[in-house]
Formats: sequence, structure tokens, C-alpha cells
Amino acid sequence: MDYLYGLAQTIGVHTIIGLSAYVVLQTGQVTMAQAAFYAVGAYVSAMLTTLWGLNILIAIPVAALVAMVLAGLAGFPALRFKGLMLVVATMALGEAVREFFFNFDYQIAKGDLKVGPAGAEGFRQIRYFYERGWTTAEVAAFIWMFVIGIMALLWWMDRSRIGAVLRAVGEDELAAQSVGINLTAVKVSAFAIGGAIAGVGGALYAHYTTHVEHTAFGVLMATFAIAYPILGGLSSVFGTLIAVVFIQGLLIQWLPILIGGELRNLLFGLLILLAMNLRPRGLIDPRVARTLRGLFVRSPNA
Amino acid sequence: MVLVQAIIDGILVGTTYALIGIGFTLIFGVMHKLNLAFAAASIAGAFASLVAWQHFKDLPVPLVFLISAAAAGVLGYLIYLTCFRFIPLKSPLATLMATVGMLIFLEEIVTHVSDGKAQNYPGMLPDARWTLGPLDIRVDYILVFAISVAAMLLLLALLYRTRLGIATRAVAQQPVAAQLCGISLDRTNAATFVMSGVLGGLAGAMIGSSAELLSNLLPLQLTVKGLIVTVIGGLGSIPGAIVAGLLVGAVEKGVETWSVLARDLCVMLLIFVFLVAKPAGIFGKLNVRD
Repeated sequence: MDYLYGLAQTIGVHTIIGLSAYVVLQTGQVTMAQAAFYAVGAYVSAMLTTLWGLNILIAIPVAALVAMVLAGLAGFPALRFKGLMLVVATMALGEAVREFFFNFDYQIAKGDLKVGPAGAEGFRQIRYFYERGWTTAEVAAFIWMFVIGIMALLWWMDRSRIGAVLRAVGEDELAAQSVGINLTAVKVSAFAIGGAIAGVGGALYAHYTTHVEHTAFGVLMATFAIAYPILGGLSSVFGTLIAVVFIQGLLIQWLPILIGGELRNLLFGLLILLAMNLRPRGLIDPRVARTLRGLFVRSPNA
Repeated sequence: MVLVQAIIDGILVGTTYALIGIGFTLIFGVMHKLNLAFAAASIAGAFASLVAWQHFKDLPVPLVFLISAAAAGVLGYLIYLTCFRFIPLKSPLATLMATVGMLIFLEEIVTHVSDGKAQNYPGMLPDARWTLGPLDIRVDYILVFAISVAAMLLLLALLYRTRLGIATRAVAQQPVAAQLCGISLDRTNAATFVMSGVLGGLAGAMIGSSAELLSNLLPLQLTVKGLIVTVIGGLGSIPGAIVAGLLVGAVEKGVETWSVLARDLCVMLLIFVFLVAKPAGIFGKLNVRD
């Protein structure tokens, strides 16, 4: 059972990081910086709980806030660019943040043990949940509380004016600008919201793994972050969730048991290729999203 | 003097970065799409030649290079088929993601072929030196430089002196008008992918050969570096990619004499300087829209 709860934790945290990229992708921006905000969330929250003994319910919002401020600050210069330029600029930002944590050393003696981020070795002994005796199931439930909260928030946002503005910018910047939408404000806000969500994801990640190091926040993580919403489709938050369950649950956990770990990544790349050729707008594309909505919500005309 | 020596080495080897940058920029110029799998395909081509070299022991080095270029050309065509041919151009995210899938696929193949560690690769005249006053220049670096320049000149001749080149430039400028003139978009795009693949395979082989090692980590490293070169040079600009490649090579080797750890950080810093001061790149046109 613990194995399943562990899987639920992974899927939950990856859904959050996928959703953080979902917000930014809605405005048509491809960001490779989500792993950086994820890292900031992880380190900041872990330092707050482990070094200074704060409650996790305070540490997570603070971590999200720090990640959000960083995203906002980085957003202003970075969002002057589009397309390839933005991919490279955000990738450079992500790598710079990773290099920072690679060299970041700040330890405090706690009892006879030194705790804190120790450069390349990473940050060990994030024992918040263990010290309080939480079981794996309880931790998973705690993580999913946040997943559901964020999904509900974004689901509501998609239906509100904010969502319409974000999508307008994503579909056609020129048209959006000519109806009076401030492009920079919208893009930087989306970037900041995405940063805050990634920060929450990082905070949860740091506390359930108990040990973070800089390698976890590289280009691969940033790629995963944008892969989930693109594979799942940008029409619904549930697309991201389905893509995470598909990749993390099916491909990474169960496929190796079926065919052996050797072939896993080969098949992983091929499946992405196949999915994009067959469903270029994601697994849940606008048409499927409409059909699904029709099942639950009666249209006013019918 | 150490610094001058390092910068000269950097410029000589930087021509391989320039080739990778040209590959990215060529595809971007023609299709206005990013092919993230390009650098991985180049290294995969080099690994194909490595397998051939390990299999037939006495393969001459020029032949190894040709095999690498040919294999990468074929991979370029395959990438075109799987990531661009059948995906509607209206969904740019889908083609981007498909090339990421291809990148993961190729990287995994490289990991399998290399057993997860760097492999020996045939060098060209590894011990020959050319002493020039206080400078001591490796002859194989000069060979790398010469081959790269020859490849670039060949590419420019192809682009500006042949019918295929005219078609390629026409498609880059105005795909619809080019089609109206009877140019096949499909064939021109495919030819561009093969051309850039051949250049990349040559660059991959020379990167391996000048170090006499082919690292399994190269696909990702070269992807990041190639993108940086492309952006610094200006999107779609071939002269820009050449200058940027030399610049990145020189900065890298120059900083390396001071600190190896700071090397990658400095290259990242370089790109931020360019993004802030000259966002269109060295030779790029301003107001670039994708």
C-alpha cells in the first residue's frame, strides 16, 4: 500500500509542476524556467521548516511567494522575447538557478548534527513529516489537498475573464493587443502565477523526499514541466493530470515491470512522437473538452 | 600568453559550434520552427560512425567522418518525417514537443551504444604540434577549422549557386509564393533537414575527434550550446551563427584557464548580456516574430 501512496505523492507533485507550466503556456509562451522556481520553492521551504522550525503551513506560502517574486522579476526582461529566444532565455535562467544551488552552502548546527543546504551534496535531513510521525498516506493526502485546490482554482480561472484574456494572448497577440489587452502585464502575471504554483510543488517535493539536490532541477525537469500540459492539451486542467498519470504512473512505474527498464526511455520518446502526430493539440483537445463538458453541463440551448 | 593561446584554441574549435548553430538556424530560417533534436541527431551520427569504426578496425579517419555526416543526414530526414511532416504547422507546440520526444529517444540510443560512459574516438594527428613563437597550436585544431570553413563555403555555394538553394531561400522568404512558383515545400524542407544534418554529423565527428573521446553527455550539452549560439548570432542568420560560434568557443576556452566551474556560468551570462543589449542577435533583424 505504501508503494501506491508513494506513487500518489509523485503524481501529485508532478501535476502541480505541470499546472505551473499550463498557466504560462496558455499565453503562448514556452518556458523552460519552471524547474528553477520548483528549486526555489524546495530550498526556501525546507530551510524554513528545518533550520528555523516553522510550521509547514507557513513555509509553503512563503516559498510560493519567494518563487512568485523571482518569476515576476525574471519575467520582465525575459518576456521581451518570443518563441526560441524565450526558450533559450528561460533555459539559461533555469541553469543559472541550478548552478546557484550547486554552490549554495549554508548549514546550522542542530544538536550534534549540521543541517542545511551543502552545495553539491544537497540538502539532507528535511525530516519535518518524520519528526511529526506522519504516515505516507497522510503525506499523500496533504499533497493532494494542494493539488485539488490548485486544480479547482485554475478550473475556475479558465472559465473566468482572466482565462479568456490569457487564451486571447496565446492565440493571437496582435488581436489581443488591439482590443486593449496589456501584453506585458498579462504575460508577467501568468509567469508569476506559474512561478508561485511551481514553488508550492517544490516545497511539497522537498518535504516528501527529505533530500533535495541540484541535479533534480535540471533541463530534464523543465522539459517534463512543459511536456505534461502539451501532451495533455491546453483546453482543460484535467489534460495535465491525465498526462502525468500516463507518464509517471504508466510509463515510469509500470512499464519497466512489463518490459524491463532497459527500453523505457526509448519507448517514452517514441510515445511522445506518436501522441503528437496523432493528437497535435493534446490528448484532451478542444473538441474532446467540449464533448466532456457536454456530458456534465447541459448547454443553455438544448 | 596562456590566455591568448586558449582564445586561439577556442576560436579554432569554436567552428564546430558554428556548424551546430548553422544547423539550428537553417531549419529555423526555412520552417520557422525549432528542431530541438538537431544536436542530438548530430551526436547520434558521430556514434554511428563510432560503431562502424569499432566494428571494422582499420577504418581511415576521413571515412569515419563521412559515415558520421551521412548517418546524421539520414537522421535529419527521419526527424523531418516524424516531427514535422504530418503534424499541422498551426500547432507549433506539437512540433516542439515531438522534437523533444525525438531528443529523448536519440539520447537513450546514445546511452545504450556508449554503455553510459565516454568512448574512445579516432583522432586526427593527435600529437602533431605547430610552434609559432610562444604559441603552441595543435595541428588537429587547425584541421577542424579548415574542414569547418570548407563545409560552410560549400553550404553557401549550395544556397546561392544552385536551384535547390534558390528554392530553399524562396521557401524561407515566402512559403506560399514559393509554392505558387511550383516549388515543392515538402521536398525543399526535407532537403534542408538533410543539409543541416550532414553539417551536424561532421561537427559531431570533429568534436569527438579533437578530444579523441565521444561523451554520452554530449547530446544535451550540445543542444544547450547550439541554441545559445543560434540566439547570440540572430535567428535565421548564417553569418551570425558563425561569428557567435567562434565567440562562444573563445569565451569558453578563455574562462577555462581561470576556472572550469565558472565556464558554463559565463556562457549563460554572455547570453543574458546579448538578450538585454542586443536582443535580435549579432546579425539578426529586429522585430523577430515567430
